[in-house]
Amino acid sequence: MMMSDIAKNPVAHSRKKRGSVSSLSSHEFQRREIHGRTKDSMSTVSYMDEPSQRDDVSRLTVQMENTYQLGPPKHFPVVTVNHILKDVLTNYLQEEEYEPELCRQMTKTITEVIKAQVKDLVIPRYKFIVIVHIGQLNTQSILIASRCLWDPKSDAFSSYVFRNASLFALANVYAVYLE
Amino acid sequence: MEEYHRHCEEVGFNAEEAHNIVKDCVDGVLGGEDYNHNNINQWTASIVEQSLTHLVKLGKAYKYIVTCAVVQKSAYGFHTASSCFWDTTADGTCTVRWENRTMNCVVNVFAIAIVL
Repeated sequence: MMMSDIAKNPVAHSRKKRGSVSSLSSHEFQRREIHGRTKDSMSTVSYMDEPSQRDDVSRLTVQMENTYQLGPPKHFPVVTVNHILKDVLTNYLQEEEYEPELCRQMTKTITEVIKAQVKDLVIPRYKFIVIVHIGQLNTQSILIASRCLWDPKSDAFSSYVFRNASLFALANVYAVYLE
Repeated sequence: MEEYHRHCEEVGFNAEEAHNIVKDCVDGVLGGEDYNHNNINQWTASIVEQSLTHLVKLGKAYKYIVTCAVVQKSAYGFHTASSCFWDTTADGTCTVRWENRTMNCVVNVFAIAIVL
């Protein structure tokens, strides 16, 4: 079911394109409630691409038609996305030095750019999650790990690490098939 | 055609519940420990695996992605951002930030609904 059909088909499962970018920077890391705001550590940007069509009652009872497909007709192209990540990170960060404000903006921009490019690949029935970490490169140690509980035949992820003289950047894209 | 009845009526991702689960896992694994390069692999693996196991025990029809970043406490900056393209009515995310004297830990949980 393609995204463009939602408006026309009233029975269709309404899926909204909604981007939400939130970032966290830790120069002064403070423990606080997840909803709290402190002076300069957390910022959230979120927007909607389409007007919201909230209708909880109908959402509960909506039934999707059978597609009789056992798996995705077109799989997530891991290699292509690897190249996308490499290009985006290199283009945006090749010449940059680590600076807190710049990198805060940069993480948000880069996630949005990567998401837009992956969406352009138009792979039907896939949902994407893009995560970008940028940090200052020095003698401190960092470990980033992730585990996924999904169907490995249809779902996949792609990852790329970029380094320059003063910073490192890690970008991950997780693609999940809508069953 | 038989209908599948969900054994829980709640719709949408319950971020609060996930937050508590993950926070307990992190407290259990890292609580009282100091940053140690030898153990860090093991710790992140346990945090992520335990969180995933507990989330699955909730019995909801979701696929989960759990990421964990552990950074040694230092004067150096670290930024992380995420952007998601999904169904906002059914899918959700939750982030848990935890710290102690020697390290910071950020755990993200993403839950994507399976439509049965």
